[in-house]
Amino acid sequence: MAAAKEDGNDTLDELLKDKARIEELSSDEEEVFKRGNNDAANVGGGVPFPGMDQLKPKRKLEYLPPWLHDASINLFHDDLETPTSEAQQKTRAECLPLLTGEDTQGLELNIYGLPHLRRQKHTDFLRTTFNKLPAPYQVVDASRPWLFYWTVGGLSFLGEDVTQYRERLIETVRPLQNPTGGFGGGHGQYSHCACTYATVLALAAVGGLEVVDRKAMWHWLGTVKQADGGFRMAVGAEEDIRGAYCAMTVITLLNLPFELPAEAPARKAGLDTFTDRLGEWVGRCQTYEGGIAGAPNNEAHGAYAFCALACLSILDVPHKSIPKYLDVQALASCLASLQTMPEGGFAGRTNKLVDACYSHWVGGCWALLQAALSGGSSGRNSVKLDDLWSREGLVRYLLCCCQQPGKKGGMRDKPSTRPDGYHTCYSLAGLSAAQNHYSYSKEGQAVDKQSGRLIAAFHWTAERPTVGEMKALKFDEEDRVGFVHPVFVLPMDVIEATRRQFAESRL
Amino acid sequence: MGKYADDEQWSDVVPLPTDEGGDNPLAAIAYSEEYEETMSYLRAIMAANEYSPRVLDLTEDLIDMNPAHYTVWLYRAQCLFAIDSDLKEELEWLNETALTHQKNYQIWHHRNLIVDKLDQCEGETAFVESMFERDAKNYHVWSYRQWLVRRFGLWDKGELEFTEQMLQRDVRNNSAWNHRWFVVNGQEGAAGVGDPDIRAREMKFAMLAIAKAPQNQSPWNYLRGITKKSGMSLAHLKDFAEQYASLDQPDNIHSSFALDLLADILVEEKNTKQAAQALDLLEKTYDPIRKNYWAYRKEQLGLPAAVA
Repeated sequence: MAAAKEDGNDTLDELLKDKARIEELSSDEEEVFKRGNNDAANVGGGVPFPGMDQLKPKRKLEYLPPWLHDASINLFHDDLETPTSEAQQKTRAECLPLLTGEDTQGLELNIYGLPHLRRQKHTDFLRTTFNKLPAPYQVVDASRPWLFYWTVGGLSFLGEDVTQYRERLIETVRPLQNPTGGFGGGHGQYSHCACTYATVLALAAVGGLEVVDRKAMWHWLGTVKQADGGFRMAVGAEEDIRGAYCAMTVITLLNLPFELPAEAPARKAGLDTFTDRLGEWVGRCQTYEGGIAGAPNNEAHGAYAFCALACLSILDVPHKSIPKYLDVQALASCLASLQTMPEGGFAGRTNKLVDACYSHWVGGCWALLQAALSGGSSGRNSVKLDDLWSREGLVRYLLCCCQQPGKKGGMRDKPSTRPDGYHTCYSLAGLSAAQNHYSYSKEGQAVDKQSGRLIAAFHWTAERPTVGEMKALKFDEEDRVGFVHPVFVLPMDVIEATRRQFAESRL
Repeated sequence: MGKYADDEQWSDVVPLPTDEGGDNPLAAIAYSEEYEETMSYLRAIMAANEYSPRVLDLTEDLIDMNPAHYTVWLYRAQCLFAIDSDLKEELEWLNETALTHQKNYQIWHHRNLIVDKLDQCEGETAFVESMFERDAKNYHVWSYRQWLVRRFGLWDKGELEFTEQMLQRDVRNNSAWNHRWFVVNGQEGAAGVGDPDIRAREMKFAMLAIAKAPQNQSPWNYLRGITKKSGMSLAHLKDFAEQYASLDQPDNIHSSFALDLLADILVEEKNTKQAAQALDLLEKTYDPIRKNYWAYRKEQLGLPAAVA
């Protein structure tokens, strides 16, 4: 310990020098927010920072954000090396040159020096998923509905019209629907919560939900509801929080009754509705770290945090249901800690690596969590006041590190991995969370008095960033992703159309 | 024609080919002939609700080709139980399969079903440990381990020592920390860290881990968890936190997590001004990516803006 402290003193002087610079940068950034519409040329020019002399002349980055400053990167260095720290070093090394602009991978840059969003390339990449897939893809034969969702979801976030796929998607999913309700991964496969969720969302996106047998769906969902309040993924399969989120999404979007069918096994345990004991069960998934596990006692994980928050946001208005079942401050602390330094994206668990998919799973939590924390007061006063996370960090990570360069397009976990539909869809959803504002309307009600439908999740509004915010986060209009519903992860207008489609529907 | 079509044993089955839904399906997979044939026999078998030894052969074939096929796994489990198959033999087969398909929800759920039915877990913890040699943070494997401990009451059968070994290998392995928390606190009715002796032992364990690598979030979270669950005052941790982060030496901070803890200790002491200083250090210097979060925490202190 003593030795460590001495080392600390040795670097003290340098640290202080660097610290002063960081502060300079910080105040400058605040200026950017305040000045809003001012010309970008006025922003941040000439601010000194170490490493400037290493820049390639064509680079347009005026300055680096504080967490990419040498002083920040080298703040703490524990001597003890373990597999975790080695993996972190490796990731940092592959990301840093991309984050600082030292290596732009040949991507076209926006006026702030960050790569443009490769809209057309990502669109092309996603569309190829719908082509005939070669035989090695048979390992995803049980998860084809995810391919439908990631593709139409990702495309619609990019503003593409996906209704052209309506007829083909309806045709394709017909054999996946079981007469006893729900969708499986393929023809002859058992109905499964994840497959059902993905199919329903994909159908909603293309406007094809009429193919769903709602009554059978309601009966099938009754078979996966458990006496303890949670849901199994399929009859006889594992019970985890994905099941809870997927099932509640389907029930709400399709306006299914939230009473359990008469034959549902959970009725024998005294449950009457799909929501009985659900909030309590979700609460049991919160761990000593403050985060949410897939099931009680397991490890906290970012993807399950989203499932928990979104599920509770369906049960009731978020500022009521979320604090009722979760320790919100502990969760906020845990989620904030998942934003990795220096990469700026999110990791899924404590001491794990950054991965673009958590841009949605964790990045998507903030709108829900901030709605819970703001206690029902609507809207935002300013980005700075309300945000608990770094939008700027996430935008930079996604644009610099997660876009596949070259002909192919698509988005990836991190630079050393290959792009795929999953990462492309959730990177775009995360980018939307970082670029846009989502707030919960004051007038939100949990249940529609007339129909009995759970409507809490239908009261979100989206707002585009101001020009000043775009400058501060360093993206152009052409880099902006459309609005993505914070609970259902589809375009806002798709969710509104779906709400209306079934507003009057009875079984 | 194919493995099954040519087999006498299967001649009574009329295979059900894949219904693609139409002429132009989306994301259609060009299945290998073998996969397509095996799947069409599975569909036929499932439609007839057949449970027999040959179903085990068929499902094994499919699992080899597509281990993520949850339906095949679930049907296989039903079949094993229906025909009272030798479950130990099934476990041996699973051991081989698991080595090639570790990152897979289905295989662990299947194992869970089999071991539950067997009602004995001999060799299971050792098997799980061999899995950790490949990936020490595999979520499914840890979840399975937790189930084993609960189902077979392994709480004090070397489980604590096991977490120590795992943390010896990598003190930053958060899954191992989570498991330790579970072993200490997860048993129904157990006091866990509510018991003063256990609490002292666990605090010491976490503190020693922190001494090895102060900027390791896992043991800090663990320590926080102890204080919260046991309701103890954070004041007990002040000296410890200040070893790594003292406001008297703001340029000599060894752990951002110590600083975070110190801020909470100061809040508990109602020393909001110093708490704001600690949060300020995090915001401005020691944890800039979380600048907004620390600013929010500072705002929660309710101090006039000028002080914060």
